[in-house]
Amino acid sequence: MDFGVDEATRESLAALRIWGREEVRPVGLEADREARPIPVGHAYFDRCLARGDGRTHWRPEGAPKSGRKTSTLSRLLLAEEFAYWDRGVMIAGPGPGLPELSVISSGTEEQKERFLGPFVEPDRPRWACFAMTEPGAGSDAAAIQTRAQKDGDGWILHGAKCFIGGASRSDWILVQATLDPSKGRAAQRAFFVEQGAEGLGPFKIEKKMGLKAYESSSFTLDHVRVPAENLLGGESRYERKAGFKAAMATFNAGRPIIAANAVGIGRAALDEVILFANQHDLLGDARVRDRIEAITRKVRMARLVCLRAGQLADEQRPNIVEASMSKAMAAQVAQEATSQGLELLGTVGARGDHLIEKLYRDAKAMDIVEGTGQIQRMIIARSLVGLPR
Amino acid sequence: MNLVPDDDLLLIADTARRFGKDVLLPRMRSAEADRKLDAETRRAFAEIGLADLERPEEVGGAGLGCVARVLVNEELGAADAGAALALDGFGPALYPMLEMGGDLSLLAEAPGRTLLVTEFDGEFQVDGAKISGMVPWVPASEAEAVLVLIKDEAILLRDGWTLESIRGAGLRAAGAGVLRIDDAQPVARLAEASGASRARARARLYVASLLLGVLRASCDYSREYAMERRAFGKPIAHHQALAFLITDMQMALDGARLLVHEAAWRLDAGLPAESAAASAFAECIDASRLIGPNGVQILGGHGFMADYPVEKHMREARALGLLFGGFDAAIEESGRLLVTREAPLAIGIGGAL
Repeated sequence: MDFGVDEATRESLAALRIWGREEVRPVGLEADREARPIPVGHAYFDRCLARGDGRTHWRPEGAPKSGRKTSTLSRLLLAEEFAYWDRGVMIAGPGPGLPELSVISSGTEEQKERFLGPFVEPDRPRWACFAMTEPGAGSDAAAIQTRAQKDGDGWILHGAKCFIGGASRSDWILVQATLDPSKGRAAQRAFFVEQGAEGLGPFKIEKKMGLKAYESSSFTLDHVRVPAENLLGGESRYERKAGFKAAMATFNAGRPIIAANAVGIGRAALDEVILFANQHDLLGDARVRDRIEAITRKVRMARLVCLRAGQLADEQRPNIVEASMSKAMAAQVAQEATSQGLELLGTVGARGDHLIEKLYRDAKAMDIVEGTGQIQRMIIARSLVGLPR
Repeated sequence: MNLVPDDDLLLIADTARRFGKDVLLPRMRSAEADRKLDAETRRAFAEIGLADLERPEEVGGAGLGCVARVLVNEELGAADAGAALALDGFGPALYPMLEMGGDLSLLAEAPGRTLLVTEFDGEFQVDGAKISGMVPWVPASEAEAVLVLIKDEAILLRDGWTLESIRGAGLRAAGAGVLRIDDAQPVARLAEASGASRARARARLYVASLLLGVLRASCDYSREYAMERRAFGKPIAHHQALAFLITDMQMALDGARLLVHEAAWRLDAGLPAESAAASAFAECIDASRLIGPNGVQILGGHGFMADYPVEKHMREARALGLLFGGFDAAIEESGRLLVTREAPLAIGIGGAL
């Protein structure tokens, strides 16, 4: 047993801490103040590129591999640290983002070259995104209605997507659509839709309660035509898809990342609470200390639950229950930490210009994205008590 | 980083689990009624070699650390926490002796039980060389020695006190008594601040890990019941209200356990652990307030009856959480330590979380 963090991860954390303090937090506060996503041309994104961010891990065949492979545990600690400074800014960063792993695991070689190639050494900040959520289908992803219809040797996509991160600035959008809405997940396919495609958009940039630094867009697909080679993995992939789904059922890497983000938000609230209490000479009050103890304890616990899910992932052991627990717990803990923080601030917390107030708004999303707390509990209960689907 | 205990410790825990299941669990109600353990239980415990887990090797112990202790205690606590207390001669009274430079030959004498009480458990007056005091409840009807831990001082008594047997709300396998100390003359007095706080941390983890065991037993029993028992055409566990409750209980247990393990690891690694241990104990108590009563709730009317173990879990989890100052003293100590830091959860010296 060893709850220590390895040297390499500590170095990465220390570098990220400086980046966070000097770049991430200020640009996040700016976005929040101005109530808009960080604009595409913002110098922050250029600095991200200069720092080495915004790139794909994929390499063309024969090219040297990219950097060292980081463990899930280490990625979780980094995700926590980034969110400590600003979770919205973390999501706003350029790069192939959410769909990258799907493309690497399921795309054809030609698709990887075409869609990830520009992210190997990007000439400018570039984005890509994944579009699943629809106005009428969030957690129940089997219920999406965006249709894909065969048209000659290509496809016609028709429907509407919402709350998609960075859609209007993306080079391409991996759109999830269905051949037949009555047939659930089995009938779903993913398509690369390139920016500028006829019938794509307009993009409505949503006004959000928090996490304003990244763009969340809603858009329509009005009979958008995509060529056959834009079907993720090509036709043949769907004949061997069963195996892939089985693997996904026992293992999850995304939810612990959100959990780690929530832990970071909770930790930021904690440090702000202590700072405020110090400045206002409140630490002599047992009620204040109790509150600080409770926040610390719960955030520490959520962090451990999150790391446990990460360790299982690193060991390639089933972690579905632990991943969902980490997400359900950490999101709740972050909300509670920020809310208790506001309690301490009193009316200062209601002015709308304190970091804890922003964190209170930001934290709420952690209990919604990647499956709400209720969905997580359903997933856990399936394993724990055999709750039927 | 590795959040899972090493294999050799898991093996020890497994021994404790089997002993709990085979020996303690079947006698749980009789030990409770008798207010003591039978000779067979004591003999079986002596055989498995878990009696002197943390005693240093030079005085005949196994010389293991806090992680080993919390793993074993969870297993014993899952069967019968009262029995676990009754079986451990020195119990948490070992810690002030170990941490504050006590005469370890006192341990080699291997008396019956030595009781640890702290300033939070009762009222004490230290008058020159003598001590008096009263503790309304200790989980014991008889003892060989009493160790009083008051702030930075540990006071070992061999006589000058009485134990009056009382009913006790739980943990009756260990007995129950009122402890009265009357102008007692200590056989040893130890005063050392940092040792005292480490002793306190270890004592809290000792109880916290028994508590984990009780909570686990409650979670497991009520969950299995809920999967069997049917109402309105399906297992009650498949009604979402109960499915979510069971899920929340399991989450509370798992989270509390990780905090206990982390604090125990810190103690073994020689890192500052007082705040972590106090908060871990507080979290176990917090979890017990959810799990104890809901373990009963899930069984409905049956849960209220002594035919099922969950009512015992509910009573005993609460009683354990009252020891050594319980929740309030734990969060007070942890809170005082935490607010001296700017960023309590930043990755600290040596990279410990």
